[in-house]
Amino acid sequence: MVRKAMLIDESKCTACRGCQVACKQWNDLGGWGYSKTTNVGSYENPPRLSPQTWTRIKFSEYEGANGFRWLFLKEGCMHCGDPACVHVCPTKALTQQADGRVTMNPDLCNGCGYCSQFCPFGIPKLEVSGVFTGMAKAFKCTFCQDRTDNGLIPSCVKTCPAQALFWGDRDSLIAAGKKRVGALRARGFSAANLYGENLVGGLGRLYVLIEKAEAYGLPADPKYPALSTAWKDIVQPLGKIALGGTILGTLVAWLVIRRKIKMEEVE
Amino acid sequence: MNGQEKTGGHVFQIRWIPKYTFVERLLHWVHTISFLPLVVTGLVLYVDALRPLTQGEAGLWMRLVHRLFALLFIGEPLLYGILQPRRLWMHMKEFSLERDDLDWLKNAFPYYVLGKHGAMPPQGRFNTGEKMNGMVMILTWILFVVSGVIMWFGKGIVSADLFRWMVLVHDLTMIAAVCMFVAHLFLAVAHPLMWAALVSMRFGVTSAAYASEHHAKWYYGPKRAKELYEAKKKMVSTEG
Repeated sequence: MVRKAMLIDESKCTACRGCQVACKQWNDLGGWGYSKTTNVGSYENPPRLSPQTWTRIKFSEYEGANGFRWLFLKEGCMHCGDPACVHVCPTKALTQQADGRVTMNPDLCNGCGYCSQFCPFGIPKLEVSGVFTGMAKAFKCTFCQDRTDNGLIPSCVKTCPAQALFWGDRDSLIAAGKKRVGALRARGFSAANLYGENLVGGLGRLYVLIEKAEAYGLPADPKYPALSTAWKDIVQPLGKIALGGTILGTLVAWLVIRRKIKMEEVE
Repeated sequence: MNGQEKTGGHVFQIRWIPKYTFVERLLHWVHTISFLPLVVTGLVLYVDALRPLTQGEAGLWMRLVHRLFALLFIGEPLLYGILQPRRLWMHMKEFSLERDDLDWLKNAFPYYVLGKHGAMPPQGRFNTGEKMNGMVMILTWILFVVSGVIMWFGKGIVSADLFRWMVLVHDLTMIAAVCMFVAHLFLAVAHPLMWAALVSMRFGVTSAAYASEHHAKWYYGPKRAKELYEAKKKMVSTEG
């Protein structure tokens, strides 16, 4: 199946935050408890992604070659081509669809939180109802799975008045993103770049950036966590061999011992 | 009754001597009933066939039960250490391996699996295998508790990298502990030579004959045990 993606043209974003509202409205998210803000000298609001805020515009103040400017970044799940969250999820609540979307089924989630800790971008957030009992559920952007499952576009893309958001086949969006980067460079944004084409198996959320990724607070070179591979692909299979071997070895020993040691001779 | 039975006209009597105190046995069994539910509620994340038990409500229950038994698992040795630090220290010394233990390990396979009646280096109240079990239990307890507590309360507080390491450590520790447990269970309930082990852990007593054979250093004291060991070694070598 053709891989789908979202292209986010940060050179066009006006930080109106219509996407945030559309996301909350479509996905029926409240979460005012997470959203209490304190004045930190920024219009940024809410302060961070939360179990009830799956996307938000991050404001970075940046002084570059073209002088001071605000950099806007629409944060949210990157829908990695190689999603660590899916690999560490023990419940299959998180799944990677054939078209690349990383979707979730909250009914299956048991709140273990491995996804939140293994994500190279730290995106999935836990709604914790009891630290002591461990009661929790994880949430993140699903590209509006109920809409995209049915051929609609994600609600943030639908609502964006600046036309900074695009939804479609990943390959064509990469081509469009590269074209836009070329146009921006021609207009003097020499650091313009397309973020995410080949990162972590190729991101499903692609950014056209006018400054380098670090200026937006994005990791320049995010990696699939090595400890996820070490755990899931090395330790767990080897552990199963060790456990099976011990049980089998004990059984064989028992069969030998039955023949070799006679209870009548035992003190 | 009471260890007496008639075999071929002889009266065969077992002389029972005390081996484990009430508190020692209590700790052993409290540890068992905290460890087993922890293994079961943990293995659901590990064994693919048990996945339905990790999902949704069932998964939340598994995690809650895991935490409840973790309290017991963590609390019981801590409480013992606080109330009876000297006895805990005594156990640590009892579990420490010595040079003799290497000889025991070399001879364990022919003796315990092939049923050879060779001379075994005299053992204290715990033999080498039991000491190793004790050491593994102490080590895995520390690793379980440290990694478990960090995963329980440290999410979002400690770095993601540390959390990932703790997940890995918890799994590795479980693998080591469960392997040790399988061997321990087998020796306790199924090995003919170890017939008195489970009796001791249930009733606190052991047979004097069993103790003189398997725990000579404890039964006779180190000096006499060594003499008997040397004598038996000589006897076995002249026979062979």
